[in-house]
Amino acid sequence: MIDLSLHKGLHTAQGTMPLDIDITITKGQFVTLYGESGAGKTSILRMLAGLLSPDQGKIVVNESIWYDSTTKTNLKPQQRKVGFMFQDYALFPHMTVRKNLEYALSKNQDSGSIEELIQMVELGDLQHQKPSTLSGGQQQRVALARALVQQPEILLLDEPLSALDTKMRLKLQDYILKVHQQYNLTTILVSHNIGEIIKLSHQVHILEKGNIVKSGTPTEVLTSHKMSAKFRFTGEVIAIQQEEVVSIVTVLIGNNVVKIIAQESEIETLNIGDTVLVASKAFNPVIQKIV
Amino acid sequence: MNTLQGQISNIQVNGSLALVSTRINPIDFTAIVIETPETADYLKIGNTIHVLFKETEVVIATETSKNISLQNQIPGTVTQLKKGTLLSRLTIDTMVGDIVSVITTNAIDQLNITEGTKVTAMIKTNEILLQQ
Repeated sequence: MIDLSLHKGLHTAQGTMPLDIDITITKGQFVTLYGESGAGKTSILRMLAGLLSPDQGKIVVNESIWYDSTTKTNLKPQQRKVGFMFQDYALFPHMTVRKNLEYALSKNQDSGSIEELIQMVELGDLQHQKPSTLSGGQQQRVALARALVQQPEILLLDEPLSALDTKMRLKLQDYILKVHQQYNLTTILVSHNIGEIIKLSHQVHILEKGNIVKSGTPTEVLTSHKMSAKFRFTGEVIAIQQEEVVSIVTVLIGNNVVKIIAQESEIETLNIGDTVLVASKAFNPVIQKIV
Repeated sequence: MNTLQGQISNIQVNGSLALVSTRINPIDFTAIVIETPETADYLKIGNTIHVLFKETEVVIATETSKNISLQNQIPGTVTQLKKGTLLSRLTIDTMVGDIVSVITTNAIDQLNITEGTKVTAMIKTNEILLQQ
């Protein structure tokens, strides 16, 4: 359980903006902070990591106090079990992939975990190469592995995939989900990509000018569709095919492939890989007993 | 998807079903939903709501008839017709805005529909989705 109570005057171009956040995050959850630039999302991650001090508040992680303004408790970043990943990979250019990971080990830490991480994000063949010879997606995989070297309890992801193309982004999302589950992490993501948020997170908090204005599951909060459809699923677009005056959109929902007829105006903004809501009224589907 | 905006004018509830009328001047659209004001807070008289229905669910008639079960009937004029081999799309200018319908090209030919034809677009109550 992570209890965050953070209060700070943030300096912005428009003057000081008060950040007031009180949230509880259950251990093992994948939580996303969503909101406009300057709403305070990155500041929250930085305060949790110990890179920025709140004016007032308390950070309690699994019953251990990381920060408490009343008792002047403030653990140093290296004492907090946090892994951080940014959009900028920030890898050391003169070191190989493996060396970049080893450099992140804490003193006296066994290097055995490095091998496991290399396998986990499938960097085995690239481990002796320098970052400049890798693609953006591969470098970001190194950054993800590096964030996990010190076996954090919390993984903080600050728009880590926003610079990658769709295909690469989808792949990295799978790696992130894999490590989140494998290492039993509590993950906090800052993202603007709705599809990504729906795919990855259990819970979303929407921030506006330093305050949380809405919280809930991604479909509740982001699709915001109070809709009378009772037959409703989220899926991923895998094909779009034009047929005469309509288009056939193929969507992967769980393990099932379904097809939906759509109009030209509806597919204009639709791309392969997009997460979509597929909805119909309860009156349309037919039901038949199998066997 | 055809999307129109209006205000809820009437709600008739029985069990977990509700027949909801939405006023989109000057027409009342009726939709049957498995929601009641108790299960969905957007079901409130006067509330602004979107009425959604798929193009492929819009039935077209060239003559209006009272002997038909379809409750939502909107008269208009075909302004655009795009004919395919099997399916055709028509845009109808109505009092509530443009409504798009996709029907078979056979039906277009049978009804002799061209741009300028006066038609009535009809939608079954169970094909209408409500969304806030």
